[in-house]
Amino acid sequence: MYLVKNGTVHVGNGTVLSGFDIFIEDGLIKDMGKELDAQGAEVIDAGGLEVFPGFIDPVSGIGAMGIPSKYPDNGEYSDPVTPEMNLKYSIDPDEVNAQEFYKSGITAIGLAPTNVNVMGGQIAVCKTAPQRMGKRLVKERAGLKCSVTSAVKRFYGEAHRLPMTKMGIFHLFQESLRKARSTPENERTEGQRTIIDVFDRQSMQVFCAASSKNEIDGILHLMRDEKVQLNLVDGFCFADSVRELKEQKTGLILGNVNEMSQIAKNGMDISKLTELVENGNRIAFTNSNGGFSEGREVFLWSAIEAYRAGVPAEEVVKMMSLYPAEMLGVSDRIGTLETGKDADLSIFTAHPVTTYAARVKHSIVNGEVIF
Amino acid sequence: MSRKLITGGTLYTMADGDDIFEGDILVEDGKIKEVGEHIRAEDAEVIDASGFCVMPGLIDAHSHIGLFDFNHDKAVDDANEMTDPVSAAMDARYSVNPKARELKAAYEHGITSMLFTPGSGDVFCGQAFVAKTYGDNIFDMTIKAPAAVKIALGGNPKNTFGDQKRLPMTRMGVAHVLWDTFRKAKDYLDKKERGEEPEYDANMEAVIPALKREIPCKIHCTQYDMLTAIEVAKAYNVRFSLEHAWGAADYLEEIIESGCDICYGPIATYRAPGERRKVDVEAVKLLDDRGVNVALITDSPILSEESLYHHMGEAVREGVSHERVVRMVTVNPALQLGLDGRIGRLAPGGDADIILVKGKLGLDTDARVIQTMIDGNVVYKA
Repeated sequence: MYLVKNGTVHVGNGTVLSGFDIFIEDGLIKDMGKELDAQGAEVIDAGGLEVFPGFIDPVSGIGAMGIPSKYPDNGEYSDPVTPEMNLKYSIDPDEVNAQEFYKSGITAIGLAPTNVNVMGGQIAVCKTAPQRMGKRLVKERAGLKCSVTSAVKRFYGEAHRLPMTKMGIFHLFQESLRKARSTPENERTEGQRTIIDVFDRQSMQVFCAASSKNEIDGILHLMRDEKVQLNLVDGFCFADSVRELKEQKTGLILGNVNEMSQIAKNGMDISKLTELVENGNRIAFTNSNGGFSEGREVFLWSAIEAYRAGVPAEEVVKMMSLYPAEMLGVSDRIGTLETGKDADLSIFTAHPVTTYAARVKHSIVNGEVIF
Repeated sequence: MSRKLITGGTLYTMADGDDIFEGDILVEDGKIKEVGEHIRAEDAEVIDASGFCVMPGLIDAHSHIGLFDFNHDKAVDDANEMTDPVSAAMDARYSVNPKARELKAAYEHGITSMLFTPGSGDVFCGQAFVAKTYGDNIFDMTIKAPAAVKIALGGNPKNTFGDQKRLPMTRMGVAHVLWDTFRKAKDYLDKKERGEEPEYDANMEAVIPALKREIPCKIHCTQYDMLTAIEVAKAYNVRFSLEHAWGAADYLEEIIESGCDICYGPIATYRAPGERRKVDVEAVKLLDDRGVNVALITDSPILSEESLYHHMGEAVREGVSHERVVRMVTVNPALQLGLDGRIGRLAPGGDADIILVKGKLGLDTDARVIQTMIDGNVVYKA
């Protein structure tokens, strides 16, 4: 039992509560309010501190790469269409632990396939604290990771296999859908069953890596009549397709913009995020770029770039917590600080979006003080 | 004669022990003429800097902009001449595209000078140079060439030549090439100094300025490779900096004792066994406290130019003060490169590379450059 006392509490949905207490028991938030009485609970003084929900990186590669190994564990490159692959089986807890994600406030990650396959597999959501795996896994089959980036054609093109062009990539995407739908239910492969579950029954959202304008416009065109929610991953040229993104209320998981100088390369106008926010599009950030991850620090850096570009700080906080939780279908458990949710708290000395001097003072995951 | 008077700003002069104060700067013909309070210069064009921080243009002491081109589907590598582990003669100026988009991002973010270096695919990778970030012709933009001998240890040269089954395919192989090349260069120099005429060797010629301590060696290394770098550099009494320097906290005493400089960064990489096992931003604080000259580097375009702010910010997060972290991207790299008379400070006689900043860079996440001046010309205005 813990009582986090007198903090400035950022709920994660845009609300900020001053001088609020959070009572934690059995791994959950049991109560929130002013001057809570919780006898027997260990008190964590959060006076002068900023309390956030644990941040969420919805499409991390690191943690499931299986370093060191010749082939990454998050890329089943035997075929460009492998929707049946379940990332849960590739999670390397030690690799997750080594990143010390919680030091940047990140308490959950969606482990995702690389960008090499058109349909790479299903995202698994895992907590970042070194705890038993049974406690860490939040959800498997939390999203279908796809890709229409040039990473696909580079890999398969070299082997002289379809797809070796962008039109090849989109052809394969469309054909995979068509074939799954036209195959009688009892004859469908596991991959085809997954495709039907996702695209026709909306069992999980689609997370598709698309970076250049033609990749983004292409996937939006292909998906325009599909019912399943689409989230772009990387999306470095998103600002050039704002109208289309608004029309479909497409989600956007902005890749690591500081890697490979994406802002300069793409002439990115990050301030366009505000237009998407006003339109109700969900935005999130990730440490990955091109399907590969960098260090935990870059997650905050992308958030800071959004703030620098004019997105209000509390809106940026939603992009780090609530929105990624909704995308992954785990907002019933994580993403906001509310009674009944998992007790995943990142307690900072200051607001990490507005000042670099902000340090994580305490990290609480599943109700355990990790740091 | 062109004169500009920058008035009323909060001046970060980077003079030793000097406090930050409100004052004016007089610029004349591309140089800083005077720094002080209430400067009178009636004929000068006035730039009102009240409410802004006025700082020397920032310096990124380790960049590959224009040598690596990531602006296409396939990356272009003109940074690594990986045909021989000893490629010391390669002159990086010939690989740089001055129209690289990243250079615009650099001066728009207040980075006015950069050290451009070959990559780390060889043991002796080539000659680095320092140039301004604004201009049409890289040779005109250059202010010092060569500025450093670029050397690399560890996985990069090892993998380059390991793939070809050539020396060096191990760390001991890299050390062997390092010792062997310095020995040959020293013999070559000795012969020249004795008046003998050894057969001209461009690679040996390129190492001579380092042996004479005219320019430093910039040695790419991480973790325990630092010990090799320090041992060899000391044996040949060269000036040197350790580049990247992940894991420096584990070798603090060796670094301090060697008297070398540190170029730390880029910071944001995943952690994994091997060279990435420890990425210890906190080392920046430990080293600075112990008097080591630390510069922060982005390795751009591997990381972006604007990430220099984030690098400053991560050092601040680990306890470095805002005032100290600003030195790590101005006067510290200038001193490392022997250019502190020209860049990295606001001092009379120096180049008028001056930036106006709203907020505190490296502390306030929304701090931004609102004006960049290079050689007395305003090249960017927000």
